[in-house]
Amino acid sequence: MSTQTIQMPAAARTRSAPRVVLGLIPGVALLFGIGLLGKVIEHVLTILRREHHLLFPQIDYVLWAIVLGLLISNTVGVARIFHSGVATYELWLKLGIVLVGARFLLQDVLHIGGISLVLVAVELVLSLSVMTMLGRIFRLPPKLTSLLAIGSSICGVTAIMAAQGAIEPEEEDTSTAIAAILTLGAIALVTFPAIGHSLHMTQHAYGMWAGLAVDNTAESVVTGALYGDEAGRFAILAKTARSSFIGFVVLAYAVYWASQGKAAVVQHKGLFLWQKFPKFILGFIAISVLATAGFFTHSQLSSLSNLSRWAFLPAFAGVGLRTNLRDLVGQGWRPLVVGILGEIFIAIITLGMVYWSYAEGVAR
Amino acid sequence: MAPHNDNRSALPRGAHRLPINVDLIAVGIALTLAALIRFNVIHQISF
Repeated sequence: MSTQTIQMPAAARTRSAPRVVLGLIPGVALLFGIGLLGKVIEHVLTILRREHHLLFPQIDYVLWAIVLGLLISNTVGVARIFHSGVATYELWLKLGIVLVGARFLLQDVLHIGGISLVLVAVELVLSLSVMTMLGRIFRLPPKLTSLLAIGSSICGVTAIMAAQGAIEPEEEDTSTAIAAILTLGAIALVTFPAIGHSLHMTQHAYGMWAGLAVDNTAESVVTGALYGDEAGRFAILAKTARSSFIGFVVLAYAVYWASQGKAAVVQHKGLFLWQKFPKFILGFIAISVLATAGFFTHSQLSSLSNLSRWAFLPAFAGVGLRTNLRDLVGQGWRPLVVGILGEIFIAIITLGMVYWSYAEGVAR
Repeated sequence: MAPHNDNRSALPRGAHRLPINVDLIAVGIALTLAALIRFNVIHQISF
């Protein structure tokens, strides 16, 4: 099983491909409908503010899309007919990330990505150690602690799902870890932009921080985009560098639990790493290489950049739609407290590292 | 590795994923769109 897939339920396996595609349409339409509505609301409020001097706050379509999704998910709920289509938010998110590669010259990717890799390596060691220590202090089941450590240090739900097959935790542990990570992601959406503004962070520094500190790729991209377009781009770059570590961390945990006799031995480690590696990173780099090599004209680069924004539109709506607060509470307070304490630590450490790298001129 | 348990329904909704390799499809669509734009099959896209 790769990091990006889970097996189909028995009912879905028996459905033909055209029926599966047809089944996606309602949810995809809902994602785009909410995203477009967010854009319309932003546009209308801008006109009202400009033409009629009404005192509406400047709220970006990104926030409108998330808020509309959250409202639907937590009031009337998302009907079953929309579920499979709403799950495509991940496809739109990754399509947007790959296309954003057109907005980075390869030397920027190597420079910022290289700095991010160093910062991620430091963040990984510290966050894995702290989460493990907190798990012991709060007496969480050891495999739940592993899942929380993996999820909070790498890329949230994707990392937990990747680890699930490798360290064989109890189903309840997986569910609890995912709920905790999703809750923390929802908290980050609100707190990070507020902290960034209060500290007067630059777009680049804030984006790096969001990419390094927020767990889930979707929440990380949104947390960056809520601060600004440039911040969103840099969040993607830092997050992509962080995600590239997923295979190594999951492999390390798989080897550890196998040595304890509580998980199967990984036979082909190279193959394991390749299976867990997020392939969309290769697409991001490929598009960046083409852009750097002058394969596209200026207006074509602009079109690719706008296409990435169109792809992010339903992804932002999906972040709101899949966040059901009822799912997130009632998973027990201890995993959430461990997660919150760990995330506060990670946020402070990464904030310090980003400030240092910009103050020292390492990043520019 | 242990047999996979089909536990979609037990997980929070945010954990539900598509039963396909999303990464490869995203890369395929992106490269196709990039080629269509490069060879002027798709013209100016605004946002």
